[in-house]
Amino acid sequence: MEQICGAVEPLFPCREASIRTLCELIGHCNEAYPPAIYIFGHSGTGKTSLTKAILQQCERQQKVRTVQLNAIECYTTKILLENVLDALAPEEQQPAESLVADNMLEFVEQLRRWHGKSARGFLIAVDNAERLRDMDANVLPVLLRLQQLTGLNICVLLLSQLPFEKYYNKTGLSEIIPVHLAQYNKTETLRILSSDFDQLKRQLQLQLDGDRLAICEQSLTPEFYSNYLNLFLSVFYKACRDVPELRLTARKCFAVYMEPVLDGSVECTDVSRLWRHIAGPLRSALTQIYLRVEKPLGEPDIEDQSVRRLAQSLELPYYGKFLLIAAFLASHNSAKQDKRLFVKHHGKQRKRMQTVNARAKNAEKMSTTLGPKSFSIDRLLAIFYAILDEKVGLTCNLLSQISTLVHLKLLAFVSGEQNIMDGSAKLQCTVGLEFVLYIGKVVGFNVRQYLCDFM
Amino acid sequence: MDPTISVSKGCFVYKNGATRANKKEPSKRKRSGPAATSSLLGKEITTQPFYAAYSDCWKQLHEHIQQLQMTSNARTLEQLVEFVGIEGHCRLDEVLPTAALLTGINQPDHLKQFETLTQRLHLQRVGRVSVLQSRDCATLKAAIESMVYSLMYDLSAMPEMDEEEADEGERDRKRLRRTQCTLKQLHAWYSNNFGGAGKQRALVIVLPDFECFNANVLQDFILILSAQCERLPFVLILGVATAMTTVHSTLPYHVSSKIKLRVFQTQAAPTGLNEVLDKVLLSPKYAFHLSGKAFKFLTHIFLYYDFSIQGFIQGFKYCLMEHYFAGNAFALCTGYSQALGRIKQLSHEDMETIRRLPSFRPYVEQINDCKRIIAVLTDDEYLKKKLPQLLRDCLLHFMLFRCSLEFFTELVGDLPRCPLGKLHRELYVNCLNKPISQQAEYKECWQILSFMSKEAFVAKLSKCISCTEHFLSEQIAPLELGDACAEVMRAELQTLKTLLNDVELATLEQQPHVNSESHLSSDARALTDLTQVASRQELKAQLLQRSKQDKQQSTSEYARALTKILAHIEEQLVLKHLRPLQQAPPLHELYVFTDIATVRRNIIGAPRAALHTALNNPHFYMQCKCCELQDQTQLVGTMPDLSVVYKLHLECGRMINLFDWLQAFRSVLRSADEQENAEVSQEHIDPQIQARFTRAVAELQFLGYIKMSKRKTDHATRLTW
Repeated sequence: MEQICGAVEPLFPCREASIRTLCELIGHCNEAYPPAIYIFGHSGTGKTSLTKAILQQCERQQKVRTVQLNAIECYTTKILLENVLDALAPEEQQPAESLVADNMLEFVEQLRRWHGKSARGFLIAVDNAERLRDMDANVLPVLLRLQQLTGLNICVLLLSQLPFEKYYNKTGLSEIIPVHLAQYNKTETLRILSSDFDQLKRQLQLQLDGDRLAICEQSLTPEFYSNYLNLFLSVFYKACRDVPELRLTARKCFAVYMEPVLDGSVECTDVSRLWRHIAGPLRSALTQIYLRVEKPLGEPDIEDQSVRRLAQSLELPYYGKFLLIAAFLASHNSAKQDKRLFVKHHGKQRKRMQTVNARAKNAEKMSTTLGPKSFSIDRLLAIFYAILDEKVGLTCNLLSQISTLVHLKLLAFVSGEQNIMDGSAKLQCTVGLEFVLYIGKVVGFNVRQYLCDFM
Repeated sequence: MDPTISVSKGCFVYKNGATRANKKEPSKRKRSGPAATSSLLGKEITTQPFYAAYSDCWKQLHEHIQQLQMTSNARTLEQLVEFVGIEGHCRLDEVLPTAALLTGINQPDHLKQFETLTQRLHLQRVGRVSVLQSRDCATLKAAIESMVYSLMYDLSAMPEMDEEEADEGERDRKRLRRTQCTLKQLHAWYSNNFGGAGKQRALVIVLPDFECFNANVLQDFILILSAQCERLPFVLILGVATAMTTVHSTLPYHVSSKIKLRVFQTQAAPTGLNEVLDKVLLSPKYAFHLSGKAFKFLTHIFLYYDFSIQGFIQGFKYCLMEHYFAGNAFALCTGYSQALGRIKQLSHEDMETIRRLPSFRPYVEQINDCKRIIAVLTDDEYLKKKLPQLLRDCLLHFMLFRCSLEFFTELVGDLPRCPLGKLHRELYVNCLNKPISQQAEYKECWQILSFMSKEAFVAKLSKCISCTEHFLSEQIAPLELGDACAEVMRAELQTLKTLLNDVELATLEQQPHVNSESHLSSDARALTDLTQVASRQELKAQLLQRSKQDKQQSTSEYARALTKILAHIEEQLVLKHLRPLQQAPPLHELYVFTDIATVRRNIIGAPRAALHTALNNPHFYMQCKCCELQDQTQLVGTMPDLSVVYKLHLECGRMINLFDWLQAFRSVLRSADEQENAEVSQEHIDPQIQARFTRAVAELQFLGYIKMSKRKTDHATRLTW
């Protein structure tokens, strides 16, 4: 046990306590394992990698058989069982021999038949264990009581982001030992990130040459790096606590941070000037976090998130644009108002005190902010013809535009997707006001003029 | 049919390998396909000269278009292949290399693009490819299974396998069932076939329609692929139709942090179309031309409806077919020398077709010799002798037209606000449809041109000239008749150059009039006049006159040279060569397709209109004698029941009372044979009529025009307006 702890601990700083707990539970293969362990914590807290390292050590040092699974890959129970069997098959077993386990019974029987007499330990780790809940009803209970059912020294480790309370069902579950991996706090994060320093330095030294290498040797000290990390975390820690993600971004931004120092334009001790250099790139990196968009070298920045650019860059056919506008209008006006909006001689609207009061009260409940309502295809076409100046025939090409817009997720079916033919299908428009305003500007149509909210 | 020993009736399955044989056959047929006749048409058509001309022309055009599209997509494809080549190795971190290809909104069009990508990847032996369409991936299970299946049994990759690979392929010959296609199998297969060092190939997964995928399936799919990345070198390619934001909004953080995204941009569809139009359709190489209206119609479909280049090309092909199928006379629509050969084959009917062409009449009318007119109209041999000259004139006209268009586009294309349009296609349509010099936009252009500064104008015009010269040497010169065309054009350009030289040398200074003395004296007189005006009106008149004088005098040498050169351009290029179709030389109909109505009817489907015509006026389709209508709204009892019911329902409002409807139906039917049924009482309804009515209503409901109302008994709701 001590050996395992010793091998794993240097890899995972700030996780000493959890490692020790785990090793106490599964570190001795000659003692009886607990039937199941539940390891949980947020993403990026090291659940999977920690388990992986411990299992590897157990396998290497104590000849324990281990399996690591990802529950997402096991979209049927059969695949889950076969994967476990595959990994636990005895060494002398011919690989060609069929590993068929159609149900839990066969699975348990097979395990017994193979290993009934040996006294070895077995460890099964299942990642994304919350998916097990959606599988066959017997999967989770059997896994939790696998030790009892097979009579082997077997332990199942379940890894998930949810607390175990979320697993309870009507029939109840047997006891499980929870191990919580808490999120790292700021100092811990700092410590973990600064453990990268040596690797980073080596990498930099390989890339550089001549003058720059000399400067690099001189200025790249652990203090310099931890200064940088402090700056970095002051921007990022509020937005993201996922350590791998932070590590990746920190590395990416460090090159930018080092640049003025390597050029010789800024002293490596001049923190405030360095900060001025890095603040902009850090802020733009903050918007890109988790997205992992890689830009090819020498190409202009095509990533512009503004709605205006998006609306202008979206190429739609002319009538497609009008259909989209019509859909937006149908979604954000009530059908009662259609006559007033789109018919020329709609008569005079009588103003009642009641309606005036109601409108004043509901000023904040504008339909553009309440979200889209559904509309039928007939209404969409009626509005389309009302807002279009020219006469267009109702052709296949036009109707197929509607389905194109649905494919592009600019419109969405609300109901009746199966019976479009009898006219009861309802659609809604999924784009926002700003987007449609820009589209309208492109085709020279004032959308605002036709919205009840702005009358 | 095979006999069975069973006494019961039913379908029986025979296990004799019939299905297998069926499966094999198509692939064989496909291979022998090109050798045999690939046409649906019978021999009697394919041997006609017009068909030969048509297939010749289409083959050339098609190859040209394909080559063009290949080259325009080449850069993106190269980049993608390179990306796959670099990223297609196993790596240790669980990050899935992903390429997002921004394709544009017409998804069916882009499937083809992915096909070429697949071919290229196979050709360069970079990877195995599986194209997963959203319809195959309703669930995660289906997605994984079809991915594994298509990776392992990739048909298009089979032919390029070597011998050594072939026997490895033999090993897997025993096909798996769909349900057996799991990642485990894929893993075994991969290590079997590509396990060795240096044999590694990327496994490329292409999702051509990213937007259509179910978000949950997609997320799980990506998570699985990224988890497998350590062992299998997956590369994901997403075809994104709208913009990158959809990718970001579909994939949550825990998924998007598992992929490494690289964005590739393809050519936008309108630019692609413009390229095809400029380089192929408007190329002087081909004898076939579209009239302005047909051209506009096709581009209109593209720009206003679907953005589909494939659709455009098919529409164009339809026009081509329609043109050539009009008769053997249209076989002349080829290159000059080929046409000369074909003239001999023309029969009497073909000559008659030519004589019936609308532009033939003006030609005959301008001959002033009586005998020759008769000869042209009656003697086939005489006309055949005349034809080569006519065809030559026609072809030359189109070439000159194209050259002048090149010049003209350069001249007016970049004027502020582009009054005439800035692209070849817009100007082509404008010039062919109407006499361009009479349009208001044209006059506006001319005005802008005359206001330009000297440097700008000279630079512009010399650019125009050099552009046209370039066009002449690049495009026109290699063609037959090209020399004749180039000769005419070069002469024009030469005169233009000399004129331009004048403009360049012209000074901007105010040129005093020739007789400066009188000018001065008149000036003095005017001055004196001004002092002695009596009334306001007089002053005004005098001022007006003086300003007029000023204008005349102020014309500098430059301005005069400018007007001169502009007038020359108008006279020699615009009026002479950019003539509208009505003023084109005789027999231009042989080269220009104008029949827009047929194409419109056949290309654009209008289901509602067609149904309405069929029901409202069945005679239109049935061509029967009994239900000929004088008036569209007429109701005749001899029409089909469905049609009668439909017409009656058009008169109703939203809700239709079934009983009233039935009564109306009955009265219509009775009016047809009222003599016999006159005495039948109002209350008693013939069950036969009732049955016919019920059936017609049911059919109408089936067609989707009405729906039985649930709110109001015995009422139907109209669904259309």
